[in-house]
Amino acid sequence: MSLLDIFMFVARVAFAAFVPLCFIAVCVWMERRGAGYFQDRSGPNRAHIFGFRAAGLVQNLADAAKLFFKEDVISGHIEHKFYFVLAPVIVFFTALVSFAVVPFADTLVLGGKSYIMQGIPLDLGILWFLSFVGFGVYGIILAGWSSTNKFGVLGALRSAAQVISYEIPMGLAIVSLLVVYGTVNLNEIAQFQGKLLFGFIPMWGAVLQPLAMVIFIIAAFAETNRTPFDLAEGESELVAGFHVEYSAMKFAIFFMGEYVAMFASSAMIVTLFFGGYQIPFLSTATLISQAKPVAFLLMVIIPVVMYFFTGWVRRSNVSHYPRENDPRVFEATVYIKCFWGLVIILEVLLLAILFSTSGGATAHIFVVLLQVCTFLLKITMMIFVYIWVRWTLPRFRYDQLQKLGWQMLLPLALLNIFITSAFVVALS
Amino acid sequence: MSAKVKTMDRKGASFQERLYLIEIFKGMATTFGHFLRNLLDNKKLYVRHYPEVQPEIPVRWRGRHRLTTHADGTVKCVACFMCQTNCPANCIIIEAGERLDGKTEKMPVKFNIDLLECIYCGYCVEACPLDAIRMDTGIFSVTDNNRESFVLSLPELLATPGAFSEEDYKKGGA
Repeated sequence: MSLLDIFMFVARVAFAAFVPLCFIAVCVWMERRGAGYFQDRSGPNRAHIFGFRAAGLVQNLADAAKLFFKEDVISGHIEHKFYFVLAPVIVFFTALVSFAVVPFADTLVLGGKSYIMQGIPLDLGILWFLSFVGFGVYGIILAGWSSTNKFGVLGALRSAAQVISYEIPMGLAIVSLLVVYGTVNLNEIAQFQGKLLFGFIPMWGAVLQPLAMVIFIIAAFAETNRTPFDLAEGESELVAGFHVEYSAMKFAIFFMGEYVAMFASSAMIVTLFFGGYQIPFLSTATLISQAKPVAFLLMVIIPVVMYFFTGWVRRSNVSHYPRENDPRVFEATVYIKCFWGLVIILEVLLLAILFSTSGGATAHIFVVLLQVCTFLLKITMMIFVYIWVRWTLPRFRYDQLQKLGWQMLLPLALLNIFITSAFVVALS
Repeated sequence: MSAKVKTMDRKGASFQERLYLIEIFKGMATTFGHFLRNLLDNKKLYVRHYPEVQPEIPVRWRGRHRLTTHADGTVKCVACFMCQTNCPANCIIIEAGERLDGKTEKMPVKFNIDLLECIYCGYCVEACPLDAIRMDTGIFSVTDNNRESFVLSLPELLATPGAFSEEDYKKGGA
């Protein structure tokens, strides 16, 4: 095992482990500020360090510090303390591990060796994801049961029933996908989507399997316990559902688990239906051979985008009431300088690519980084859809939820399998 | 004469509505409109930047209480117990004493209002025959860190000035 092998191994595992964790902060921030903007209010934007609010991101630090130092209560009536503590760990761990098989870039070829860009280079792919997402509900059931609380048990039961109902349409939607892709390996699925349909449409899952996409996304919302399917924690009926008895960091782990699950299922939706790490119309081979024009294009686009972005920052980051020597203007100036500094660093790096040998190791690494960025951008957009839906739709009633799962999604998923199979058989 | 019957249309029965997704996308378009408008220009948020920008208090708004005085600074209240009797929250406690300056016969020795009990209904103001108690201070934020300081005493009630001119207050229909 060479040094490069070890480095690549560490880098991939670190990516699969830390990027979801970093995205918790981004998700919570997007959720709270996004909710504010959806409802015509501003969301948390007051917490600051030396006057720097970072658009409300500092609030996350404040919340984390608060949850970390809060008293960790385990009520006296709880008999099974071990399971009580184990439950949030299961929820968080399964959510985190389910992301491990998602490829975040195409296979990297360095020095004649290829590296599969996944946290765990397994061929199981989608099966791994399904099994771990299904396993996550054990944490919720365990939490509800070990709380010895009627609200907790009710929330856990609802959640269990919901996950069982929606696992089936989800699985069936995936079956029709597998008929199309012919593999369970997520990397191969992503590579498949790099091709073009009729020579001009990207062959994304969303184009080939629109019905499966709708079913899968709905089921994924239900699996992650997000609105409109968050019956497990229906505040008006169940106080908080399965995490009533949890406080401080144990509650925070549940909370983080929910966001990691959201990240992982967004990654899954992106990989299955929106081309994964593929940039539309630019396959990996094209990117590697055309690395220099792409780098040059980026060198032009990035400053232009940054120009408009800094304009927006300057307009947004001001006090909306008369104030002498507005400190927020100074704050905005500092941010803008930081952003331009970042742009200069990026430009220098891109310039280095322009002067490197074409088709060499630099080009390969450049393409991988480009694909990672694309992948994360797509995931961010998908997470935004989650948030968008949450602040648009009210919660389903319990019988409506089951009806939708069993009477609508299940027949539709079966129908989709028949149609897809017929097409595939007819075309092959 | 037959009763007027208005038939209301039931929504949600047509095929398009029963498909759910179309209606959901319509709703999402609405919320996204709000999001985009606020993201592009956050001046358009319907928020007041509260501690810095205070709300405008209208004259008829019921704020914290005060006791009014005669022109010479003596208390108007005659300790008739009308407000205490009328108070639905039982938050006013008056102790009457003899008045020696010749204006009236009685005056309050103690006049306590427990703001933790008060429901700001304004019945005390309505009941007062002498316009001695008013809620026109414009104070809407009463905060402290111990219970005792929420019980207002006579000197505090007398010391708080009204937030509006006498003319405006009268025009406000009090």
